[in-house]
Amino acid sequence: MHSRFYLSLLLISSLVLMMFIGMGVYREMTSEWKTYQTEYKNMLVRNAEDDAARKRAEKLEIGLRQNYVASLNKSDRCMSCHIGVENPYMAKADQPFTLHSGDYIENHPVDKFGCTICHYGQGRATNKKEAHGKGHTHWDYPIIPTKYIQSACAKCHDYKMLQEEGAELVVKGEKLFREKGCRGCHKLNGVGGDLGKALDGIGSKPRAYYAMKHVVGEHTAYNWIKQHFDDPRAIVPTSEMRVFMEEDESDLLTTYIFSIREEEMPSKYRFLKNIVTPPRDGESLYKMFCVACHGSGKISVYDEIFDRTIPAITNPPFLRSADNKTIKNIVMEGRGGTQMTSWKTTASGLKEEDVDKIVEYVASSRTYERPEPFNYLEFQTNIDSGMRLYNNRCSYCHGKEGKGGNRQLGINLKNSTVQQVLDPEFLALTIRDGREGTPMPSFGGDGLGLSDQNIADVVAYVKTFGKKK
Amino acid sequence: MSSEAIGKKDLSRRDLLGLTAIGTATIAGLATLGGSLRLVKPNVHFEESTQFKIGKPENFPEGTVRVFDDKNCFIFSDSDGLYAVSSICTHLGCIVSLTEWGFQCPCHGSKYNPEGHVIGGPAPRSLEWFEINQDVDGSLVVDSAKTVAAGTKYIFT
Repeated sequence: MHSRFYLSLLLISSLVLMMFIGMGVYREMTSEWKTYQTEYKNMLVRNAEDDAARKRAEKLEIGLRQNYVASLNKSDRCMSCHIGVENPYMAKADQPFTLHSGDYIENHPVDKFGCTICHYGQGRATNKKEAHGKGHTHWDYPIIPTKYIQSACAKCHDYKMLQEEGAELVVKGEKLFREKGCRGCHKLNGVGGDLGKALDGIGSKPRAYYAMKHVVGEHTAYNWIKQHFDDPRAIVPTSEMRVFMEEDESDLLTTYIFSIREEEMPSKYRFLKNIVTPPRDGESLYKMFCVACHGSGKISVYDEIFDRTIPAITNPPFLRSADNKTIKNIVMEGRGGTQMTSWKTTASGLKEEDVDKIVEYVASSRTYERPEPFNYLEFQTNIDSGMRLYNNRCSYCHGKEGKGGNRQLGINLKNSTVQQVLDPEFLALTIRDGREGTPMPSFGGDGLGLSDQNIADVVAYVKTFGKKK
Repeated sequence: MSSEAIGKKDLSRRDLLGLTAIGTATIAGLATLGGSLRLVKPNVHFEESTQFKIGKPENFPEGTVRVFDDKNCFIFSDSDGLYAVSSICTHLGCIVSLTEWGFQCPCHGSKYNPEGHVIGGPAPRSLEWFEINQDVDGSLVVDSAKTVAAGTKYIFT
């Protein structure tokens, strides 16, 4: 019977429709912000100091609140729940009604700044989970944990003011960033090494930029950066990052990292009066670009992450055999096949005068006189003799034809630095006098008994490794 | 047969199914219509709020004159109370400036007396006066969307 079938269908579909409408109405009536606003209103009425205040409280309209700031392109509905954020009577109330802490709100009124310009999160959301945007809500810029909030101050204020007016955490972070040698591997504003990723705009990177697999807790960029500072290889197993953090240093650096933003604030919001340029003397530059790997540079250390020895560069024996020109050559060209990258202006963005300052600083602990010159060019060399000597005396550590020996005790001599950057005189001196602080012994007269002629032959042979066969 | 059974029989004759189905559909339809009409009035607007806070009443002792440049509004306080006057000229929307005798528009020379009434120039109407309310936190709120009659002054504690 057709009409019966169609009437049942109409009845069922109408009931389903009514159920959905009912659910919609229920959601609208019981929304989180409505509950909070009712509670806030009751609280105000209950605690009113006089009749006028009670009347005002009773007149309070309950409704979604949005704060739209055209010049920042921000529309924030946070005050739908955090409704007492500007109300001094709410100083001791619990969240979400609490008055904003500190005196920030006096200088940053909500109607001019909004909320998400500093705190981030999803301003247009109307419930806590989506508004704070943490974890798995797929919001790219979740609310900043309070301990990193000072990163937002640096969007508008200069470091002198931050230091004096209570945002010293981000200032400390910036100083650590300079002194831990982060830019030895990471470029910022086009200057730095290239082992790590460039850090321009790192604070504005979306969630998808980070591999969250190994992050413990909420999968947010803040946790990624913080945990990566604490233990890089726990977050990125293949990471070569060398960081050694003490106590709260990772929090300070995380705060600084999130102040490196892509977006720029409109000029009328910025407050840059005392821009202090950080020092650019040799020591500061050494710290900025070299210290992450070389440390103080006094001793050579075998590094497990790099799987090679990081040479001492400020110890007297090295400085004795290497003159400033050689050091500068190595810095400028880098050492092929190692983590030491080229610091030419075209590669690293570092100016040549800055390289000179670094070399000068490194060489400042040179105490020895220059060794007696070897005068390599005065020798008539015999490559065949050099080859025999090399195979007997050198190949155990440096390998046949300089390919690197057992457990890389000696360096690979085929690399471009040895072949192209270092002059034969330097190689000859190193063989004759050895290199203190490394396994390289002295082969000269009183040491292992090679004559100067022998050494010159070996150098001549070593130099043939770089020639194409 | 009991009377109950007769009643049921009567109902089924009037087609219980048909009545409930059409009734439910009508209610559902009306609810949908009502819900749709609800959407005509949005909860929030994507524009700067017409309301703005100007601070506590004690910041406006008698004789205060304050200019809120970015809100285009003057706030005055005299012995009769507090009042807010628009600084937008009613002629072509330039911003009037405060003078010793009232307001002067720089564009076409419209002149207003201290109450905002036109006393010269091409301006067609008096300057607008805005409503002032006190918020629950005690601060004063000017609403530039709500105009009040010239001469409306507010006393707050």
